[in-house]
Amino acid sequence: MPNSTGQVSRRRFIAGALGSGAAVVAPSVLTGARAAEELKIATFYALSGPGSLFGPTQTAVTRLAVDEINAGGGIGGRKVTVVPSDGGAPPAEAAKAAIRLMLRDKVDCVVGSHDSAVREAIVAALKGRIPYVYTPLYEGGECNPNVYVTADTPQQQVQPSITWLAKTLGTKSYYLIGNDYVWPRKTNEQAKKYIGAAGGNVVGEEYVPLGAPNKFEDAVTRIKARNPDLVVITLVGGDNINFNRTFAGFGLDKSIKRISYLLEEQTLLGIGDKSSSGLYSAMSYFENEKGEANAKFKAGYRKAAGAKAPQLGMIGVDTYGGVYCAKALIEKAGGTDAARLMAAADNLKYRTPTGTAVMTNRHVVKDMYLAECKGTSFDIVQTFKAVAHGQTCA
Amino acid sequence: MDPILTTNVLNVVYEVSTLAVVVLGLAVVFGLLGVMNLAHGEFVMIGAYCAFFVQAHDLPFLAAVPLALLVCGFLGLVVERVLVRPLYARPFDTLLATWGLGMLLREAVEAVYGRGFRSVATPLTGSVEVLGADYPAYRLLLTLVSVALVAGLVWWFVRSATGRRIRAVVNNPELAASVGIPVTALARNTFVFGCGLAALSGVMLAPLLPVNPTLGLDFILKSFFVLVVGGLGSLVGLISGSGVIGGVESVVSAVSDRTWGYTTVLVIAILFLWLRPNGLFPRT
Amino acid sequence: MASFLAHSAALVAALAVLPHLVGEFWAYTLALYFLYAIAALGVGLCWGQAGLLPLGQAMFFGLAAYLSGLSLIHFRDSWLLLLLLPGAALAPGLLAWGIGLLVFRGRTLTGPFFAMITLALTLLAFQIANSWNDVTGGFNGLKNIPGLPGLGDFIDLYYVSAAALAACVLGIAWLRRAPAGILWRAVAQNEQRVRFCGFAVQNAKAAVFGISGALAGIGGALYAPQQSLVTPQLCGFILSADLVIWAAVGGRSTLYGPVAGAVLIGILTADLRDEISYWEVILAAIFIVVVLYFRQGLMGFVEPWFERLWRRPAGRGRDGPDRPVAPSEAGFALDDIRVRMGSVSILEGLDLAVDRPGIYCLIGPNGAGKTSCFNAMTGEMPVRGGQIRIFGRDRAGATADSLSRIGVGRKFQAPSLFPEFTVAENFNIGLWGGRARLPDLLRMRSHSWSSAILREAQTRFPFLADEDRRAGDLSHGQRQILELVMVLIAEPRLILLDEPSAGLSQAETREVIEAIRWVGGRLDACTVIVEHDMTFVRELADRVFVLHQGRLLASGTVAEIQADERVRAVYVGASA
Repeated sequence: MPNSTGQVSRRRFIAGALGSGAAVVAPSVLTGARAAEELKIATFYALSGPGSLFGPTQTAVTRLAVDEINAGGGIGGRKVTVVPSDGGAPPAEAAKAAIRLMLRDKVDCVVGSHDSAVREAIVAALKGRIPYVYTPLYEGGECNPNVYVTADTPQQQVQPSITWLAKTLGTKSYYLIGNDYVWPRKTNEQAKKYIGAAGGNVVGEEYVPLGAPNKFEDAVTRIKARNPDLVVITLVGGDNINFNRTFAGFGLDKSIKRISYLLEEQTLLGIGDKSSSGLYSAMSYFENEKGEANAKFKAGYRKAAGAKAPQLGMIGVDTYGGVYCAKALIEKAGGTDAARLMAAADNLKYRTPTGTAVMTNRHVVKDMYLAECKGTSFDIVQTFKAVAHGQTCA
Repeated sequence: MDPILTTNVLNVVYEVSTLAVVVLGLAVVFGLLGVMNLAHGEFVMIGAYCAFFVQAHDLPFLAAVPLALLVCGFLGLVVERVLVRPLYARPFDTLLATWGLGMLLREAVEAVYGRGFRSVATPLTGSVEVLGADYPAYRLLLTLVSVALVAGLVWWFVRSATGRRIRAVVNNPELAASVGIPVTALARNTFVFGCGLAALSGVMLAPLLPVNPTLGLDFILKSFFVLVVGGLGSLVGLISGSGVIGGVESVVSAVSDRTWGYTTVLVIAILFLWLRPNGLFPRT
Repeated sequence: MASFLAHSAALVAALAVLPHLVGEFWAYTLALYFLYAIAALGVGLCWGQAGLLPLGQAMFFGLAAYLSGLSLIHFRDSWLLLLLLPGAALAPGLLAWGIGLLVFRGRTLTGPFFAMITLALTLLAFQIANSWNDVTGGFNGLKNIPGLPGLGDFIDLYYVSAAALAACVLGIAWLRRAPAGILWRAVAQNEQRVRFCGFAVQNAKAAVFGISGALAGIGGALYAPQQSLVTPQLCGFILSADLVIWAAVGGRSTLYGPVAGAVLIGILTADLRDEISYWEVILAAIFIVVVLYFRQGLMGFVEPWFERLWRRPAGRGRDGPDRPVAPSEAGFALDDIRVRMGSVSILEGLDLAVDRPGIYCLIGPNGAGKTSCFNAMTGEMPVRGGQIRIFGRDRAGATADSLSRIGVGRKFQAPSLFPEFTVAENFNIGLWGGRARLPDLLRMRSHSWSSAILREAQTRFPFLADEDRRAGDLSHGQRQILELVMVLIAEPRLILLDEPSAGLSQAETREVIEAIRWVGGRLDACTVIVEHDMTFVRELADRVFVLHQGRLLASGTVAEIQADERVRAVYVGASA
């Protein structure tokens, strides 16, 4: 998952949304005694740090999945418990926590929704000894053993959306703007490929640093001067909000369309209804998806999480599929042996909020949606069925 | 004039003038009290949250101004009494203590509002045509208000009786005290005034920023650079410093990109700190 | 020495036993915080000892981490690694030293400016690390850095960190007690006096900053293989700030304070931020309280007790090395010296010459330029015109420390010494000036240097024999005499004394007069005294110079001066 913001800052505490938080505090003598029967899933969600606005959703959605699974008899007959940890912490802290969870708390499996730096740190810490399911969207290329990626890849986000926009809206000239790190660059690599394929041309490409206080007057002025048909945005978090507001503030939203590749419900709220016209997003989940599975999922969620349930969005809902992916894997492999899990991953089918997904090459073939912003909500304009992930992990 | 060029010029003017307003409070406090308030940015941040608070409660945007002044004024009062006054003789520790204060305010706001981005709707939408270029109306208004604020303060400082008293205190605190100028009260009021200015700038800028707890951090560093480049504690310095820092950043950014803009600003700041620590217009 | 060995043995034993007590996970956690602790030690040394707050130490930590990460990635199996890894740790030290030499050169940069330069530099370092994708990997950083060859599990990593920490703690313990440490603390207390004792303060500051950079470097160089991931945040503002907070809360001027701060706060933060709401707010409040009321921090409550246990027995042994050979020519000559401050003219063509040993008094009404004359001679005030010759050579632009080393001693009007130090430490700084070479500054033996002049002074002023008293606790008169003796034990050939009898009792004045006479004769020196007390002048002066409005008005013997009509005309108020 791309970092949710440019701000570098200390992580912080998030109110105890986690009922299972006690598992961390309880002396290991007590928790260890029941380890034989229980199946422990460690979660790395953004409890702190810039991404922490997603934390409550991730936690609540995971809670829902775990409750459903336990109601149905657990995973392979073992009751599931969650041991939460902070995926918003700096990589070194996350690595430390992963080692603690593996050595001291003896967890069976890890599910994580956080940025790539933390993923690298956790992968390095676990060294493939326990399975690790990585769920948000990311730049691709994660092929380490015993790591299972349910995330959206650039191929899945970019190819169908660019092709559709070029055909339907007739966009010819494109301006690419993103934060300066691996995810935007990989995403733009794909974007340029499909822009070329659709006969369009790139009239500008720029990257602003991640983690610096960015302003966008000059970038918007440059875009105004080049006057493209579509702006492809791979800015994240605060930069994404700030750019889009500045963009609309200068009145460019009236004539130029935009597509942002990390735009879910929460970020759209930040951008606000005055700045969202002509803005598109492409992801594997939108709350407004009209399918039957999603309606059931949302109903269950409302019931479990109550009236004050955190906002649903792609980052957050991803963990629901993550937990079910872990379940399917462990049940198909008949345990948590690394080699068997790796074998089981091929053609694995598991449940997601919008239906069923299929895993190949430890990545996921899934349905993708293109949505247009209407005020502060999304209106799905096109569904792309079973989009390939483009990853070639052996 | 080419509309793009006009837009670029307006961007530079906007950047410089809003930066000057943010620095204004810091400059007043440092110039008059010799206190470098590293929590200044957090007062700006709190001002911005006041704007958010007001909008979240369906109150008119302008209601944020008295609210922010009240909140930050009161905070400033407490901080001056508890933190700043005991340390007047230890400027170095003031730096550390206000830095700790900044951290505290940042974390406190975060504990209340979370780390997420809040957005404040622009009270004035639409754009105005300036020399053939459409420019966002609120930005234009902000530029004008900023210029007016800085000019007004300079005028007040030069003309008013309080201004004269403040200058007397700056030049010779002991003498000022001996001729009956209430130095302690004046210092307190100055600090509170500085915090109020920060709050005001926070309210003004809130609609154009993603409001979040670390917003102040960005401002304090740049503000400090403005003071270093301009010269610590003079109003001419404040204006020239904002001109150099804000101007260089937005010109370099327009020509190249933001990374280079920011890097250039850092390099300029380092060179000034090292070779000309008293800035362009040192106080004599 | 024995106490140092005992200390080392205790520390090594404790670190060796620790992982067996706390288990594998905590050993792993401690290993990381030990690396931060090493960097925090550098902050403690720089800030707590020399009074220079480095706000950008993460820049050095990060630089080392990148260098070490790149070395491990590209030279994993090469013997070059044996050179590259220590190089990665040392390079930041060299960089810090270089920065120190540049920023401290030629002027007294006040504390906050130094702190802000380091802060701005670390922001710049972050920018570079974040944007230079080809080398640093940009925002995502260097990934999959291999571990140190031959090391496997977490306990191995712990021992590497622990060994590095132990070595650094012991090295700093040594430095703090060595003359170098005394000098750094002296710089923090009274930079001017250190310069006038013959030390190039800018070098001392650059050295301490360099060492603190190297400590951050050691931490960073080990961080890369331990965490196998290096991101730009390692160069950033947050880690820099954390290091300062750790050092402050733990106790910046104590030896173990920064270590305690890094390990305790680091571990508490890692554990508590998930469990106690407002933990970060509490931490910020603790930091503010420490800054306001407990500047010694946590270890400030503990360490003094240990210090007492390990105290070095006082006492003086053999004489230190002799001062460099005396200059061939005595005295000095000022020719048409002009000094201005802003728009005010202070010296307007002052001519003054002394060419043989003796005692000379400089008198004149207030504002005549007496002290300014000393300031101009010792490089403390910029001279706008004229020539200064000292010991027969042109000394225009010479600094106080270089003049002190060739034999110019100066005592200030208000006693200028090191109030936090004992009498012994004050003497030592005087003794080391011009005598101690770099190795001497690292040897404990230099603490017990003695000198004939010192012994004689202690006989004359018996209160000086009690060397364990704090200089700040002495009476004003005693401090005047202590400073005088500090100047004299450097065995100067040109002694500048600014009102040495100010604030002294009659008995003390008597003793000072005799001491000046004694030492002037013994060192064969030219002694120049600014004085208002005419009794004093009459007793001592071989020759008197009268200054008026920045010029020499008259000179001669006391009798001649007293007979001079011009002097009578301008010099009202003196007991002529």
